Amino acid sequence: MRKYLTVFQISWQNEFVYRLNFVLLRLRNVIRLLMTYFLWQGVFLTNQTVFGYNQSQITTYIFLVLAVQALVLSAPSSDNIGSEIGSGDLSNYLVKPLGYLKYWFTRDVASKLLNLLFAVFEVAILFFLFRPVITFPASPLAVIAFLVSAILAMILYYFLSVSARFVAFWTPENTWGLAFVIIVIMETLGGSIFPLDVLPQPVYQLLQLTPFPYLIYLPIAIFSEKIVGLELVWILLQSSLWVIIMYLLTKFIWKKGLVVYQASGR
Amino acid sequence: MLGSGGAAVMLLSGKILRVLLFMVFLAFLFQGAKSLATYSREQIIFFYLSYNLIDTLAQLFFREVYRFRSLVVSGNFDLILFKPMSPLIRVLLGGADLLDLIMLFLLTALTTAFAWQNLHPTFMDILLYVILLANSLAIAAAFHIFVLGLGIITTSVDHLIMIYRDLTSMMRIPVDLYVQPLRFLLTFVLPLGIMITFPSQAFLGLLSWQGVTVSLLFGIIAIFLSLRFWKFALTKYSSASS
Repeated sequence: MRKYLTVFQISWQNEFVYRLNFVLLRLRNVIRLLMTYFLWQGVFLTNQTVFGYNQSQITTYIFLVLAVQALVLSAPSSDNIGSEIGSGDLSNYLVKPLGYLKYWFTRDVASKLLNLLFAVFEVAILFFLFRPVITFPASPLAVIAFLVSAILAMILYYFLSVSARFVAFWTPENTWGLAFVIIVIMETLGGSIFPLDVLPQPVYQLLQLTPFPYLIYLPIAIFSEKIVGLELVWILLQSSLWVIIMYLLTKFIWKKGLVVYQASGR
Repeated sequence: MLGSGGAAVMLLSGKILRVLLFMVFLAFLFQGAKSLATYSREQIIFFYLSYNLIDTLAQLFFREVYRFRSLVVSGNFDLILFKPMSPLIRVLLGGADLLDLIMLFLLTALTTAFAWQNLHPTFMDILLYVILLANSLAIAAAFHIFVLGLGIITTSVDHLIMIYRDLTSMMRIPVDLYVQPLRFLLTFVLPLGIMITFPSQAFLGLLSWQGVTVSLLFGIIAIFLSLRFWKFALTKYSSASS
């Protein structure tokens, strides 16, 4: 455990070494949020409610997306794992007394905490710039359930992105393809641009059979108290189940990948 | 340069999926909303398709910019400067990607079919649109030349070019949906509105002659300033690591 704490500390320090990179990365997240924000503002210029949402609910949703994305989606592992396998640098880790999956998970958590910290500042600045009306949950239980679902989403995203990057074991020269498709699906069907319950009921129910809504939409829906009671318990259970499924799948692909790994380039 | 077949198919599928998913979302949005500001569903989808067309055109021509940093950092840019051809042409236009070309064909077909079916343009609308598309490409070229120049001075291109991509992605919706002063900034300071929204507005008959003139003027000024900046940046090249 101590060695992973050290990895955490080093990762945290690393993020501060490349300060400009980090600030520009955060700026990019704000730019993306602005497009979604003004798209919905345009909608509410001529409509009081859209799909049962009013302007304040959608604004709350968009601001929460920024915070949840910082916690769930920011991950240095997704930029590095593919190239480490492709270049043979993975061998450096295999000879160390260190779990590769645990190592990158620790680095991701360090990065996510820092991103979350900055996201809070960004939301505060945007809040003072645009002065939106934001709806907060009445029950503390919603806040606790939101935190649990966001942490589950963070773990789920880690396994999703890492398993996609493991394609590099089989195509070391090109590691981006599958990960790109997953990112595209996640952007739209994860709930970053719109709340998924605006979709027709059968489509929404079908989406719940995939891991994507558990990443962004459902944690925010829990915070907004759209999901309560037994449904809330059920959603948290389903989210946990997806984490377990993706963990087992990732371990399976990792083991199969190591069998074919040739440390090419070494 | 097409990589391994499977990965290339995956990448192309991802690009197509991204365009289609957002387009379906925009179309679906109008089932819950009567209109989006003053625009109809067909107009908003056309703005989005035009954004993709211009973005893909810029990527097709200027992809080499994404690889420029390693040339500067390693000092290998020296080898390009020695050659008897314009280094700017080499680092700006030297890396066209077959996937972008395929994507461009698909998008052109989709945009043409959509416009033909839903917007019924006149010959004049089409002519203005094509002229302003060429102007957009000139502004995009100017942006990329600025990034190259900054790359020489600061040796950091990667995030700058990605910020450019993110800023252009704000133009998936018309620039007039943004509030002031952001709208002014996006239209006249970073002329992204001129580059992406104006051609579509001209096509839809929503852009005045003054707008067209200002647009063309911005294109010429942007290219002129970017070339001056490139020449200045070259004088700052320190040939590091070589």
